[in-house]
Amino acid sequence: MLYVIEDMINGILMGSIYGLTAMGLTIIFGVLKVINFAHGSLLMVGMYAAYWAITLTGVHPYLALAIVIPVMFAFGYALQNIVIKPIFIAEKNVREPITVIIVTTGIWYILDNLTLLVFGPQYRSLTANPLQGQMFELGSMFVSAPKFYGFIIALVTAAAIHLFMQKTIMGRAIRATSMDREAASLMGINQYRIYNVAFGIGAATTGIAAVALIPFNNVFPTVGVLFDIKGFIIVVLGGLGSISGALLGGIIVGLIESVGPQFMTATWTEAIVYGLFLIVLFVKPSGLFGQKHDW
Amino acid sequence: MKHQHINKIMLAGLLVIAFALPLVIRSATYLHILVLLFFYAYLTTSWNIVGGFAGVLPLGHAAFVGIGAYTSTILSLQYGVSPWLGMLVGGVLATIVGVIISLPTLKMRGAYFALATIAFAEGIRVMVENIDYIGPLKLNGPRGLQIPPLETGLASFMFASKEPYYYIILIMLLAVMLLTYLISRAKLGYYLMAGGEEPEAAMALGINVARAKLIAMAISSFLTALAGTFYAQFSLYIHPKSIISLDMSFEIAFIALIGGRGSIVGPLLGALLLRPVGDFCRIYFGDTLPGLHLVIFGLVLIFVMLYQPRGIQEPISRAYQALLNRLIPQPSLGR
Repeated sequence: MLYVIEDMINGILMGSIYGLTAMGLTIIFGVLKVINFAHGSLLMVGMYAAYWAITLTGVHPYLALAIVIPVMFAFGYALQNIVIKPIFIAEKNVREPITVIIVTTGIWYILDNLTLLVFGPQYRSLTANPLQGQMFELGSMFVSAPKFYGFIIALVTAAAIHLFMQKTIMGRAIRATSMDREAASLMGINQYRIYNVAFGIGAATTGIAAVALIPFNNVFPTVGVLFDIKGFIIVVLGGLGSISGALLGGIIVGLIESVGPQFMTATWTEAIVYGLFLIVLFVKPSGLFGQKHDW
Repeated sequence: MKHQHINKIMLAGLLVIAFALPLVIRSATYLHILVLLFFYAYLTTSWNIVGGFAGVLPLGHAAFVGIGAYTSTILSLQYGVSPWLGMLVGGVLATIVGVIISLPTLKMRGAYFALATIAFAEGIRVMVENIDYIGPLKLNGPRGLQIPPLETGLASFMFASKEPYYYIILIMLLAVMLLTYLISRAKLGYYLMAGGEEPEAAMALGINVARAKLIAMAISSFLTALAGTFYAQFSLYIHPKSIISLDMSFEIAFIALIGGRGSIVGPLLGALLLRPVGDFCRIYFGDTLPGLHLVIFGLVLIFVMLYQPRGIQEPISRAYQALLNRLIPQPSLGR
């Protein structure tokens, strides 16, 4: 029984970090209505940025946030402004921006394989890592410290994004654009600038997730793929566009992955996650917290 | 001479070249590259029926390749059924699966449909990787299935040289291209294009868009599964990671978009551009610059989408038409 509780705690912690990795995806979808297939690659870029920031300066892993957040915001902003926006404009009159979806896949291939060319295929992990293997003891149960900190980071990030979206003028403009881009344009909001900012915020959030992951996760060129499909599943479970939904969807996936192996072969849990995803898509495509008009 | 006649002569000439190529190219490596090129052109042309004409984005067609490959291989390994018959069984099975998966998903919006097809294909891959036996049928989980060499010949769909495979996939490709041509000229093609462009307007005109899309999906999954059998017989080894891979599903979509979604020659043009680039990068830079071809794929895709959103078929056919007009001016039609 104690094992199950320990697994559940770890599942919730890891799941909230999954949710954190998916928050950027859900922000970008909520505003642009585009599934960003390059999302895992953004996470990978964030992890490399964090890795090098920590390795070169020798600071505590979480202090890398000060570098990674602005770098990732600029990266996302530029990516959307230079690559995605022109295609968006070309496809303006098309109802289903399919081309944009595929172009983000092209970005994924380019980023992952450029990283492979530049940094090589080897797995890297922090050498001087103060959080390495650190554990909290709860009675006879053990909880990984970096995962617990990741859980806290996820909650704080979700709250910060929520506040930003509700309280700031830019946040309101972003929400207005996500609800109705034509009406928002009529109100004097430059929708393409909003897309740039939303993409930047999405990338920066992904950078936060990268920093949360780096103390216990190796960095390698295809690390994003592990979180890519998982991210899509999480955001659909929670409702595309919903921050709290991403957190909850992440925790659901984390729980299935951690508790599932008690009852079946570990690899089967993956099939269960896909099955659950398809069921939610069929039964309630708007997810647990999504808005109906989104699909 | 009229342009139509020239077009026919050009087409006949291209066909002669395609059929004569193995007489010139004796290198097994190059033939292998060509076989895979046509294999991908075939897959993309089949994909195009639903992904191009119907205006949705399926990203899980590798699942149908897998269904075709596994069905014919299991039937031939365990029951001695000819792969040719197994090919048809696999096609029918893929059609049933394709229709079942499409019924709830096809009415979803673009992004959701794409995600659903990915999850479906990945789910199938995970299942195949985790199942050793379905009843008496041996899937062999992640280890895959090896096809032991039997006596070669057309009946056993197994040949010692690459040439027969070349001709089989070439004929399959030509047949499926002819089929897409016929579909584009038939009611179904018009329904699909109308439904893809403006579903509400099409429905208002009394077109059953959902039914047209479902038929397109059924045809597409059937044809895709046939290629799966071909692949199994060509490589004589199938395993879930290679044959039901997301990379394959994405590559099909890449080729289609670069070549020209919804056009008949687009998939072939896309494969002619992308496949050789990929193969030569792998051969010459595979050790020193791994992944170079995927960077090039991505760059080509982004540039084509930025400057030729309808794919490379458009500038190519426009240039061809301009050349014809230049060389053989047609008398004006008296407008």
